Amino acid sequence: MSTAVDDELWSAIGDPIRRTMIDLLLAGGPGTATSLSERLPVTRQAVAKHLAVLDRVGLVHATPAGRERHFQVDEAQLARAVAQLSAVGASWDARLRRIKRIAEAIQRNLDENTGGD
Amino acid sequence: MEYGTIERDIHVDAKPEVVFEVISRPEHMREWWPDDARYEPVAGAEGELVWHNAETGETSTVEFAVEEVDPPKRFSFRWCFAEPARQGPSLLVTFDLVPAGAGTLVRMTESGFREMGWEIAVLEENYRDHVSGWDHYVPRLAAYIGRLVGTP
Repeated sequence: MSTAVDDELWSAIGDPIRRTMIDLLLAGGPGTATSLSERLPVTRQAVAKHLAVLDRVGLVHATPAGRERHFQVDEAQLARAVAQLSAVGASWDARLRRIKRIAEAIQRNLDENTGGD
Repeated sequence: MEYGTIERDIHVDAKPEVVFEVISRPEHMREWWPDDARYEPVAGAEGELVWHNAETGETSTVEFAVEEVDPPKRFSFRWCFAEPARQGPSLLVTFDLVPAGAGTLVRMTESGFREMGWEIAVLEENYRDHVSGWDHYVPRLAAYIGRLVGTP
């Protein structure tokens, strides 16, 4: 796998709106720029641009449907991207879980020492 | 912002002031991330994060710089500088804290991967906590909390 492709994949999936779009397509099946824009805080034009980015790196595939195109997620390509991202993401997940446990333990101690609210 | 950013949200059942301390103070950070964290939690401060490899006895030191300190709302820092003396592109980690009920919503973003190239993401994986998980921390935590409560 070439670094250039990996960089593009990373960029494509690194954007929160595009990740949400992938989530919507996975949960609801194939969708169009119009159907996705109804469920996102961005315009149809913006959704179409994001879909083009996802299409370029092979994360979604389009099928013509009348005046629109139906997009669906390429799950194999998604799995590959997720594996790459998860290495870094998993590290942060673990750190955040530790932050949560430490902060909550301190808070419990504070509450007990002051007799609660 | 758009490219190469990791985002994570987590709800913490503790007040923003408590969460802010845990995230920003070096004595807390070394309980959730590196083996040692040396920095002053003030904007512009330079410092370092240190990992000890128990198996090889080697020590890795990574340069670190505090970017923004706005208690109890935001703490951000840079690390993984491309060049020595904190030069060149780096990764920016930002914690935003928002009150949520009796607790806090923590949003972590790490950005800069686009500028750094893919290699840095792989590099970071190598820095991945040289501990396998929470188990390592549990025995240390009780004593640690005791110390905190003992020192108002």
